[in-house]
Amino acid sequence: MKFSIYRFNPDVDKKPYMQDYDVVLEDGDQMLLDALLRIKDLDDSLSLRKSCREGVCGSDSMNINGKNGLACVTKLSDLDEPVVLRPMPGLPVIRDLVVDMTQFFEHYNSVKPYLINHDAPPETERLQSPEDRAKLDGLYECILCGACTTSCPSFWWNPETFVGPAGLMQAYRFMADSRDQAMDERLENLEAPDRLYRCHNIMNCVDVCPKKLNPSLAIAKIKDLKFEQAREHKCNAKKHIEIKVL
Amino acid sequence: MVIELLTKRYPGMRAWLMQRLTALIMAFYSVMLLGRILVLQPATYEEFLGFFQPAWFRIASWLFWICLSIHAWLGIRDVFKDYVPNMYVRSLLLKILVLLLWVYMAWASWLFLM
Repeated sequence: MKFSIYRFNPDVDKKPYMQDYDVVLEDGDQMLLDALLRIKDLDDSLSLRKSCREGVCGSDSMNINGKNGLACVTKLSDLDEPVVLRPMPGLPVIRDLVVDMTQFFEHYNSVKPYLINHDAPPETERLQSPEDRAKLDGLYECILCGACTTSCPSFWWNPETFVGPAGLMQAYRFMADSRDQAMDERLENLEAPDRLYRCHNIMNCVDVCPKKLNPSLAIAKIKDLKFEQAREHKCNAKKHIEIKVL
Repeated sequence: MVIELLTKRYPGMRAWLMQRLTALIMAFYSVMLLGRILVLQPATYEEFLGFFQPAWFRIASWLFWICLSIHAWLGIRDVFKDYVPNMYVRSLLLKILVLLLWVYMAWASWLFLM
């Protein structure tokens, strides 16, 4: 099977280049990662990230024939030859298919992706009703592979300010959590014009997500929550005025 | 509630919402304009003058122009933010845009209100 792979070693190469490989696959080589490991047997200078090999760790995300995805869950039979592999776009390349995801995780951290609850911890776990738990479906499954954010043109254009689909979906994941108490704080955190509102609903994120999640819908729901927040502020302001009058 | 979201308290939502509200008003005006053209069918210059004669229609057209200016400002500002990374060039382009929109606004005001 023929491959054309992006190669760049900053210690040696002045600029990136594409290297062709023709690899003989063996029985049982079904996924792209299997083929990449065969190539690595032939040329151990090729760098890539991998770990779980079953679409859970999100390490081997890369650009496959022009579309971001995970090598370990991409079937070889679905790919046109030569298979063109590049690192995920929009992030600095460390070497070959390995990108520096520092900025991606800085945006992720900026949305405080953890439960904020100021109540004293209960004796057992904080319980949720089945209905409240169901609200997290389609959100908690994100493996932070970065395929969505690095395929988002808004992120390419404004990488320093726009949080990106993965970070925004995680922001909504905690807003939707019945145990979280920091809704206002989370919404205010995203209010700066470029953090949330650079999303132009291009929906590349939905197209590429290897877990079939919908960050675009989560972003729309954050905007809905903004409306609810404004309504509550208005109600609270009214109550405040009524109390003053009384 | 919508008014609350248009305040400085919500700088991101304000621009996002304003773009959609102005689009709605422009869509409403466009349908009305098309309907009026189909009903009155102005063909000559004099008929067009008469077409824009009613005060309510001139005010509606002027409001449409205000919405168009706001919508254009927000939309083109976004395009500049996305495609013009150089801050100085972007700032210059935004100033030219503001100037152009104000000139068009003054022209539209003169056409519709004078």
